[in-house]
Amino acid sequence: MTRDELQKNIVSILVDEFEFENPGLTDNLRDDHGFDSIDAIELLAKIEEMLGYQISRKEKEQAMSIRTINDILNYIETIQAAHQSQ
Amino acid sequence: MAENNSQPSFPDNLINCGVTFICWFYFVFAFLFFFSFFYAAAFIFSRERCQSFQYLNYLFFKGFLGLLRILTPRQKWKVDPKIKTIQGSIIVCNHLSYLDPLIFISLLPRGKSIVKTKFFKAPVFGWILKISGYLPSSTEGIHAQRMITEIENMGEFLGNGGNLFVFPEGTRKRGTVPSEFHKGVFKIARMYRCPVYVLSIHNTDKLFMPGKFFFNTRTDNCIRLKMLSCLTPADGQKTISVTALAENVKKIFEKNTYSNEDTA
Repeated sequence: MTRDELQKNIVSILVDEFEFENPGLTDNLRDDHGFDSIDAIELLAKIEEMLGYQISRKEKEQAMSIRTINDILNYIETIQAAHQSQ
Repeated sequence: MAENNSQPSFPDNLINCGVTFICWFYFVFAFLFFFSFFYAAAFIFSRERCQSFQYLNYLFFKGFLGLLRILTPRQKWKVDPKIKTIQGSIIVCNHLSYLDPLIFISLLPRGKSIVKTKFFKAPVFGWILKISGYLPSSTEGIHAQRMITEIENMGEFLGNGGNLFVFPEGTRKRGTVPSEFHKGVFKIARMYRCPVYVLSIHNTDKLFMPGKFFFNTRTDNCIRLKMLSCLTPADGQKTISVTALAENVKKIFEKNTYSNEDTA
């Protein structure tokens, strides 16, 4: 999945299911949209669905420090790269 | 008899002190010389360690509240019997006193809650919270793993009849308007599409006042725990709005809890 496709999917999930309004790629998710650790865990489940495989516990813990949509995209790309190299 | 807002007399103070001392005695010694053995046995032998700990918590606090009720005959307790039948749900309630969570634990054999992370550091108590599957209120540092595990296990816990009880205002509240809610609990409701029961508790702060060490047992008081509403996702409803759910609960609180600050 390309970064553009990822971005489209993630923004769509954040708008449709997490009630985000006009999210920007560099918005602080917590301060600007009230996105917290429970949202992060729910989003990880959506990302797993989107990617079609499970994310490891260690990778999930790394997701707790995500602050922006760009961070989410970087995070998914890192996971995809790690998964492909296995 | 002491009146509300008046200084208790010396004999009343003495009785308050005695009741508080006996309750602390139960807390420490009933745990050390009775319950600790069962906790240890559950830890070593139970296949469902988390569930066993929750049940022991239930028994321990049932004993505590039973003792408190015996020692405080001027307190009337009116607990809606329907509350004990709630299963597989999220329970939200206003929060007045440190007694509130203890009351919920004593009513729900399979219950857990979200607690401040500092409590997880407390010796023994923190360990029991961890084994009982309580959730930390933040994911700072070492709590990230616990939060992920507990949230992921929540679906199974609720599916097996467990209840998550939460005080969405976060801290003990005085006044006539609900505080801003922490929305985490509503996000869990969205995630697992489970019913949300809205309860209201009254007058626990008159028996155990915030900021006071001693129980105030000498004033006539009626502690009430009522079921106000149950919010369930509509059939076919694809997504649940956390904002709408929180607003609904807030309206129910405003209408039934804070507009009805009752007396004994």
